[in-house]
Amino acid sequence: MSHTIVSPTDASAGRIRHYRLWPLLLFFCFHAGGAAAADRAIEIIDSMEALYQGASSSATMTMIVETPQYLRTMEMQASSMGTKNSFIRIVSPRKDRGITTLKLDMEMWNYFPKINKVIKVPPSMMMGSWMGSDFTNDDLVKQTTLTDEYTLTLEETDELYTVILIPKEETVTVWGKIDYIVNKEYMVPVAQNFYDDDGELVRKLEFKELKEFSGRMIPSRLEMVPLNKEDSKTIIIYDELRFDPPEVDESIFTLRNLRSRF
Amino acid sequence: MLLLKLAFRNIFRQRRRSLLTALSMTGGYILCVFSFSLSEGSYNNAISFFTLDHTGHVQIHQEDYHLRPKIHKTIDEPQQLSEILDASAAIESYTFRIFAPALAYSEHDNAPVQVIGVDLEREQNTSTLAAKVSLGNYIDDKLDAEDYYSAMIGAGIASNLDISIGDELILISQGADGSVANDIFIVNAIIGDKDSGDKSTVFLPLIAAQEFLSMYGRVHEVSILLKNDGQARTVAAALQSQLAELTVLPWQIIESTFYQSMQTDKQGNVFFMGVIVFIVFVGVLNTVLMSVLERTREFGVLKAIGSRPVKIALMITLETGILAALSVFTGLLLSLPLIGWFTSTGIELAEPMDIGGIVMSHITGEMSLYVFGLPLLLIVFFAVVISIPTGIRAARISPTEAMRSN
Repeated sequence: MSHTIVSPTDASAGRIRHYRLWPLLLFFCFHAGGAAAADRAIEIIDSMEALYQGASSSATMTMIVETPQYLRTMEMQASSMGTKNSFIRIVSPRKDRGITTLKLDMEMWNYFPKINKVIKVPPSMMMGSWMGSDFTNDDLVKQTTLTDEYTLTLEETDELYTVILIPKEETVTVWGKIDYIVNKEYMVPVAQNFYDDDGELVRKLEFKELKEFSGRMIPSRLEMVPLNKEDSKTIIIYDELRFDPPEVDESIFTLRNLRSRF
Repeated sequence: MLLLKLAFRNIFRQRRRSLLTALSMTGGYILCVFSFSLSEGSYNNAISFFTLDHTGHVQIHQEDYHLRPKIHKTIDEPQQLSEILDASAAIESYTFRIFAPALAYSEHDNAPVQVIGVDLEREQNTSTLAAKVSLGNYIDDKLDAEDYYSAMIGAGIASNLDISIGDELILISQGADGSVANDIFIVNAIIGDKDSGDKSTVFLPLIAAQEFLSMYGRVHEVSILLKNDGQARTVAAALQSQLAELTVLPWQIIESTFYQSMQTDKQGNVFFMGVIVFIVFVGVLNTVLMSVLERTREFGVLKAIGSRPVKIALMITLETGILAALSVFTGLLLSLPLIGWFTSTGIELAEPMDIGGIVMSHITGEMSLYVFGLPLLLIVFFAVVISIPTGIRAARISPTEAMRSN
């Protein structure tokens, strides 16, 4: 029964009521099941994508880049507003301090304080590496809205939702398919598997170590493992994550602020 | 002994004929020496040009950096390497380098460039970099008052980015630790001109490049200049046995494309040299043959009074051999100053050629034992070879017939 839909509210309503609703649900599934499942899938993905962002958010995180040649740790401060705007600033190490990324609507810039230069990231570079990590620019700033650019199919087991994302005809992407796996109980992502056009798994993003931030249970550790690069991975650890913080407002997401010394 | 005496006497008896024969051999010898000198000279010029320009005679890398350069394939302890290199008697000098592609920005524009970090002091003794500075001064590795390092840029970058001495140059690249390398440098010298091989290269002090690329203390390449360039292969092999964990290669392998095309070209040249030697050979054949045919009567008399055929043949060979030896000796004396001048001064080109910032205004030759020795051996050898059948012919002549002819 791939189309049995159980929303979190239904689940919390108790089993008896649930059973009574069952024939109705079945009927519902038969007639509008496909569309409803797709809607549900969109709902799930949207809520996952907004999980770390809220209406606005402010985060302190640590990024660890591991390759056979080097291990690099960066501390960053990130702010976001809606899904359109984000602002990430590297705080340490000293050498990289102040390097900042701003994403505004559909555009993205990097600022390098040492050379006092703002460099626009061209659309062709969105799939390029962000600061030498295994995350792409697109991963960091979520320029791609998954629910717009992909066709979604929902599968579920007792504990997990698996949303399968297939790019639409007109979508420009390097992925042939993305599996988005979600924990039903906490409604948090568990993993994302990225496949290339030949259906080969090329990288996976795992969400680990659930931690409470502002009353929400959210995975605090993200591990990106590229499978085409040996012994490499990038870990993002959320040290702090606050939602709707008062200091985050429109003035942060400006080119003027991008260039500001701090 | 008698034969030798006779041979000498025969040579000097007919002075005009001997002189003509000798002239053809001397001329041939000088022609050969000159062609050999030109051919060797142009190869050696090309070899010394790029070995001095950047390759050096021997290079040391980590793994296969020379084929597939990756920023992390580094030589981690150049100081330890220094001790080994300093101890080698065959090494004239050596220098450390690091390489990385980068994007260069000026206020006006941007361009892709190749960044080379060089050990400024060692580089001066190892390559012609300092001589290629066309504007400004060879830089040092000191920070200026505003904490910026100096850079030398290819003339192509200067014109593309519209910058010159004293201007800021912004470089962005990827560091060895994956970070974004970004820094400002002050242009203090321009290298070569817009057609040079270094037109898109930025030269930085080694320490500045190491900081820029986050590869503190590490280098990508050691380029070694030898006292004797012919020893590249043997020195490379000797160093390789001492440095098992690194890759030591002679320029013949580093510049294998050039080396192979040079070898192919040399093969083609052998044919060209063959034609020159053949022309000389025909000239000598003609004169030797004439001088024997002219003396048919004389040989007839010699046989009539009882000379043995072997002696006659031997005498002719001796005569030719002596004449050839005298000719090439004269040729050697005459060509020494000629080749000396050709090697040191050379023939002035109508249009001076600029090869990578080094101006070549003269074609110069090469002066070596090979250049003088091989034509010498060739000509004496051919003269003797020619004289054998003609000698045999003279020896087999019948006295009556010979004396009847004029």
